[in-house]
Amino acid sequence: MKNIYYPRQAKLKNIKEETPTIKTYQFELDKKLKFKAGQFMQLTVPGVGEAPFTPSSAPGEVKKMEITIMKTGKVTDKLHDEAKLGDTLALRGPFGKGYPMDKFEGKEVLIVGGGVGLAPLRALIYALFDRIEKVKKIHICYGAKSPVDQCFKDEYEKWEKKKKVSVDLVIDKPHHDWKGKVGLVTCLLEKDYLSESGVDIKNAYAVSCGPEIMLKFVTFKLLDVGFKPEQIYLSMNRRMSCGVGKCARCNIGPYYLCKDGPDMCYADIKDYPNVFG
Amino acid sequence: MNIYFLSESKLKNLMEILLGYGKIFAAKEAEVASNRDSKSRIFIKELNENLIDGYLVPGFRAFDNFKSFVLPARSKVADYPDEKWVDIKEEKNKKVLIGLKACDLVSFSILDKVFLEDKDFIDPFYKKRRESLILLSSDCEYSKDSCFCNLLGNFPYAEKGFDINLSRINGGYLTESGSDVGDKILKKLSLPDAKENQIAKRDKNREKVVKSLEKQNTDFSEAFSKLEDLSSKAFDSDDGWDLGSTCVSCSACTNVCPVCYCFTLFDKEGNKKERYERYMVWDSCQFKGFSQMAGGMNPRFSQIAQFKNRYYHKFFRFNEKYNVCKCTGCGRCIDNCFGGIDMREVLSGAYNFAKVK
Repeated sequence: MKNIYYPRQAKLKNIKEETPTIKTYQFELDKKLKFKAGQFMQLTVPGVGEAPFTPSSAPGEVKKMEITIMKTGKVTDKLHDEAKLGDTLALRGPFGKGYPMDKFEGKEVLIVGGGVGLAPLRALIYALFDRIEKVKKIHICYGAKSPVDQCFKDEYEKWEKKKKVSVDLVIDKPHHDWKGKVGLVTCLLEKDYLSESGVDIKNAYAVSCGPEIMLKFVTFKLLDVGFKPEQIYLSMNRRMSCGVGKCARCNIGPYYLCKDGPDMCYADIKDYPNVFG
Repeated sequence: MNIYFLSESKLKNLMEILLGYGKIFAAKEAEVASNRDSKSRIFIKELNENLIDGYLVPGFRAFDNFKSFVLPARSKVADYPDEKWVDIKEEKNKKVLIGLKACDLVSFSILDKVFLEDKDFIDPFYKKRRESLILLSSDCEYSKDSCFCNLLGNFPYAEKGFDINLSRINGGYLTESGSDVGDKILKKLSLPDAKENQIAKRDKNREKVVKSLEKQNTDFSEAFSKLEDLSSKAFDSDDGWDLGSTCVSCSACTNVCPVCYCFTLFDKEGNKKERYERYMVWDSCQFKGFSQMAGGMNPRFSQIAQFKNRYYHKFFRFNEKYNVCKCTGCGRCIDNCFGGIDMREVLSGAYNFAKVK
């Protein structure tokens, strides 16, 4: 009988600083692992505990995997402060369903990220690049606090150069190093702005990941500009422990985000209590 | 299945056979027992060969629950890195539980759905413990104020889920087997078949308890029969949930509940260098930290949101997934609440509020 709580060893191969509080860790697993974009892993810092993270690297059957992590709690503090190359950590997973890639075929995909929320979306972006001939367009909208707080800074240009791909960036407050747009990520979703960017709302899916307060206003904005609840997918990454739909804390309505999500269609969850806390 | 008659004097023989299978843990009336007590004075104790003499199966459910035999309050689920914890071996030693009531058996069937029947992820520790149990249930001979199994469609006597069921009648027990193991055990005793008048007596006893349950729970039956209405209306606002305001988030209700299984995984350093241990520990949705995230955000921040979540899980969330309520109606939460909260009153209150609205 397989022990569903046992974590597999993973060696820390690389650490890249994205921002002062966010780092991307590359792990090498003991054997190949198959994961889909949006599925998440439980990362164990030995002796400290586990926390759920969605890998930010390209999905598939892989031996190496990147996870982008913000320093914000017990497990991530320890990781940021003490983890060094060559350390052995542990991983459990993948868990969850992942993004509904089939639904995106022949459609435009509007990706809305906030802060470290771009990390899971990066896996989706790579998955979509992989099947770029099957999607109509990819619009990437990303909001961060300041230019310093942007993840994957060195990749935007590469992304934008691809055919069918557009990248829009915004930061919260004016900054001496920033010539682009200033405001919350929702300002990239104004109706005029979307039509200017050539988004065909009727034929698009929106996928968003970020803090729950951001997801709330992104959702309201999307609904406001004409998206239907069925066209909106939200990465609801709440506190999780078991990852297998048993410990019963990560629910929205009857759904366990760890098993039925973490990417939920807004139409499925909108009528249940505490959707956005 | 055949029904046999087991005289009171022969109960000891049955217990001796059971001791051959493994340790016996039985619900046992405490010395200070009194039927007038509103709470149960029956506790689960280990019975060794010295204690089986004179043991009688109590007529009411135990104060404590039997879930810790399948989900201990704290149990090690991994020792990492260590290959021997990758796969879990089956348990050879049996444990015999005696004096379970129908509500206790229902609790096992509910827990099975989560830990055993979810084919994607079977909990190997639960499976190991669950399969090592031999269950001897017995009919309720009376009900107490807090009992409400009838509101959940259950009965104060068991019809399935046991290995052996005992129904107390004059001078002994009517004994029924519910499994191959039960059959095998009863065969060893070569018991006489139950007489028709004995079975009639048993049915009369059962009827009596059902009647008393129905009588004491009349006021609540409307709300419990229309749980579906409640789910769509009552959870949107906090109004109608006033009775939850005396909750002090102590988690007594979730700990005594035979089906509250929420847990957390907890890691610590092991005894050896570079060896770590992972424990599965009971958690409670009544604690603020239950769903609070690292950044401080909590989807169920207020006390009343936590309080409602327990009801939501028990009567709706679980229902939508498994088609049954995650409540056995045993009433232990009512007996143990510091805030004097009665689950029946809370649900009826919310129902009446939603109905008026």
